[in-house]
Amino acid sequence: MVQTMNQTVFRGPQFRVLTDSQIERIYGAAIDVLETVGAQFHHEEALDLFRHKSDAVVDSDNVVRVPASLVERALRSQPRTITLQGRSGKHLLRMIPDEVAFGTGSDLPFFIDRTTGDRRRTVRRDVCDAGKIVDYLPEYEFFMSHGIVTDAPNPQTYDRHQYLAMLETCTKPMVLTSVDGEGLNDLWRMACLLCGGPDNFRMRPQFVAYIEPISPLNNDRTAVEKLLLAAEKGIPAMYTPCPSCGATAPASLAGMLVQSLAETLMAVALCYLKQPGTPLIMGGVTTVMDMQTTTYSYGAPELSLASAANTDISKWLGLRMFSTGGCTDAKCLDEQCAAEQMTNLLYAHLSGANLVHDVGYIGSGTIASLDSLVLNNEMIGMVRKFCAGINTDDDHLALDVIDEAGPGGEFLTHDHTFRHWKEWFLPRLQDRSDWDTWTADGSRTIVDRTREETDRILAEHEPEPIDPAIYSRLRKIVKEADQRHS
Amino acid sequence: MSTSSTCSQISEALIAGRQEELLKHIHSALEQGTEAEQIMNEGLVAAMDAVGQRWKAGDMFLPEVIRSAKAMSGAMEIIRPKLIESNVKTMGTFVIGTVLRDLHDIGKNLVAMMMEGAGFKVVNLGIDLEPQVFVDAVKEHKPDILGMSALLTTTMPQMGEVINALKEAGIRDQVKIIVGGAPVTEEFAQEIGADVYAANAAATVDKVKAMMSAA
Repeated sequence: MVQTMNQTVFRGPQFRVLTDSQIERIYGAAIDVLETVGAQFHHEEALDLFRHKSDAVVDSDNVVRVPASLVERALRSQPRTITLQGRSGKHLLRMIPDEVAFGTGSDLPFFIDRTTGDRRRTVRRDVCDAGKIVDYLPEYEFFMSHGIVTDAPNPQTYDRHQYLAMLETCTKPMVLTSVDGEGLNDLWRMACLLCGGPDNFRMRPQFVAYIEPISPLNNDRTAVEKLLLAAEKGIPAMYTPCPSCGATAPASLAGMLVQSLAETLMAVALCYLKQPGTPLIMGGVTTVMDMQTTTYSYGAPELSLASAANTDISKWLGLRMFSTGGCTDAKCLDEQCAAEQMTNLLYAHLSGANLVHDVGYIGSGTIASLDSLVLNNEMIGMVRKFCAGINTDDDHLALDVIDEAGPGGEFLTHDHTFRHWKEWFLPRLQDRSDWDTWTADGSRTIVDRTREETDRILAEHEPEPIDPAIYSRLRKIVKEADQRHS
Repeated sequence: MSTSSTCSQISEALIAGRQEELLKHIHSALEQGTEAEQIMNEGLVAAMDAVGQRWKAGDMFLPEVIRSAKAMSGAMEIIRPKLIESNVKTMGTFVIGTVLRDLHDIGKNLVAMMMEGAGFKVVNLGIDLEPQVFVDAVKEHKPDILGMSALLTTTMPQMGEVINALKEAGIRDQVKIIVGGAPVTEEFAQEIGADVYAANAAATVDKVKAMMSAA
C-alpha cells in the first residue's frame, strides 16, 4: 500500500506578529529596564527578599533592580503547564502553548438592566446570572465575575461575596480578583473546601488569582501581598500590567511591550524568591489611550496587535498567556460592537493565547451585558471553526465522491455529505433565511434573537448545586470576613 | 404486533431516514393485512410532518431531511399502486423543470426531493427545457401542479413563455403553476400569471399542500 511521507500539515491557520529576533530585542530591552531603571515596591517582605535572598539591588527609594541571571533562573523554574479544575470536577482547563480557552472578564461596575435597557450599578444577582450563562454556554471555558458585587455589606469583603455568587451558578474554572492578601486567603480557603484541601488545590487549582501592578513599574502593597500569598499557597497567579500606550507606557507598541514585560519579569523574580515554581501567567490588557476621549480603548486594533505580540513573547519565554478579546468600546450591541468584538476574538485565537478574557465587555471595560455574553458565544464558534483549519486526508479530499457525482451531478444525497456537514460551524443566532421567510418572521435582527436566547438560558438552565453542608461552611467564611470588617 | 405499533415503527424508521428498515416494516405491515391508506396516513405522512416541523425548529438539518425524503420516495413506490388499486386519492402528481438556457439543477432537485418526501409522485424533467417540453409533460402526466425554476434574471422571463405556451395549447387551466428561484418574487409570479410563488423548498411543499386542500 502506498504511504505518504515527509508531509507538513497545518492544524490551523498560522499567525505570528513577532519573529524570534524581534522577541530577542524586546526581551533584551526589558532586561535592560530591570537592570538600570528597576521597579518600585511598597512592601517590606518583598524588599527583604530582594535584599537578602538575591543579588538584586534595592535603592533608597525602594526601587529594585534585578540582574538577568536572577530573571532567567526564575523563568526556568516556571511550570510549562497549568491545569485548572471547576468545582464539580467536570470542567478541566489545561494551559499548554497554543491551546486557547475563552472566558469573561471581571468586576464591571455597571450593568445593562434587561428590563429597562438602561445602565445601572452591578449587584450580586447580576453576577449569578452571568455565572449561569457562562456555565451553560459551550464556548466558555472559564468564568470571571463579569460584574462587581456592589451590594456587599462592605466593599472590603466584596470579593468573598462575589466568589460565592459565582460558585452558586457556575461549575467552570475561574479567575478571581481580591481586595488584598486577607481577601485572597479567604477565597483560597473557600476553594479548599470545595476541592478537599490545600494539597488538592495545589495539584488542581480551582482558580487563578488576578493581580495587577501599577504601570509604569510600580507595585503597590496589596498587589505584592497577594502575589506573595499566591506563591506561599501554590495559587496560580497572573500579574497583568494594564499599560495605556501614550499615558502609562510609551506610545510605541514595542516600547509598551518592553515595559510591561519588565513589569511581569519583576513579578516572576519575586515569586521565585518566595517559592520557586509558583505558576505565573503573563499578559493583561495592553492597549492605547484614545487621544480624543482619554478612554482606555477595548476596541482598538492596537489591543489585538499588542496582545498577539505578547502571546508570541509568552511562548518564547515558556510562560502561559492571559489575553484579551470579545470586548468593545460600543455602549450597546450595535455594528461597532460586533466589528470590534469579532476582530479581537479572532486575533486572540489566532495568536494561540491560553486564556482569552474580557469576552462580552462593552463600554470600554465599564459595562456588563448578558446579551453580549450570549452573542459572543456565537462569534467564538465562528472563530473556532476558522482556526480549526482544513483537513486534507483522503476522505476529506473526496476524490471518489467527486468521481461518483460527475459533471452536472449533486452531493446533497451523498453519504459523504451526511458524514461531513456536521464539521461545519452551526449558526444558532445568525440568520441565513431568505428575504420572504425573514420578513414573515417579523424581520428580527440578531439582537432580538440574542435577547430571546438569554431569556431562555436564564429561565431554563439549572447549574449543578453545591453540597448544602459545604455551602454553609462557605457562607461561614464570608460571614466571618464581614464581622472582621464591620 | 398491533397495527398502531407497526405504524409507529414505520414512522420512526422514516424520521431516522433508515430506508431498508422502513421498507421491511412496510412489507410486513402489508402482509399482516394493514391497509395501504393507514400506513400512508398514520405512518408515513405523520412522520414526514414531524420531519418538516423538526427542520423548521432547527432540530433536523437538510442532509437528514433528505435521507427521510428519499426513504419516503422509496416507500411511496410500494404504497402508491396499492392506493390506486383501492381507489384512494393519492397526494397527486408534480412535474418540475428548469427553464430554457438555465443549467441550474440543485435548487430544483431539492424541491423535487422535498415534494417526493411529502408523498407526491414527482416527474423531474431536468434543466434547459424548451417551453414545448413543459407542454408535452402536462399533456402526458396530467399533473396537479407544475413547478418551474430559474436562477438567473436573464432566464426568469422564460417562465412566462412556458405559461404562454400552455395557454396556446389550451391546457393552462388544467394545472396549477408554482414558480421559484433566487431572483423570483411574489410580484413577478403574479406578473407572468403563475398561481403561486414559493421562496424555498420547504415553502413549496407547504404552499402546494395548501393549494391541494383548497381545490
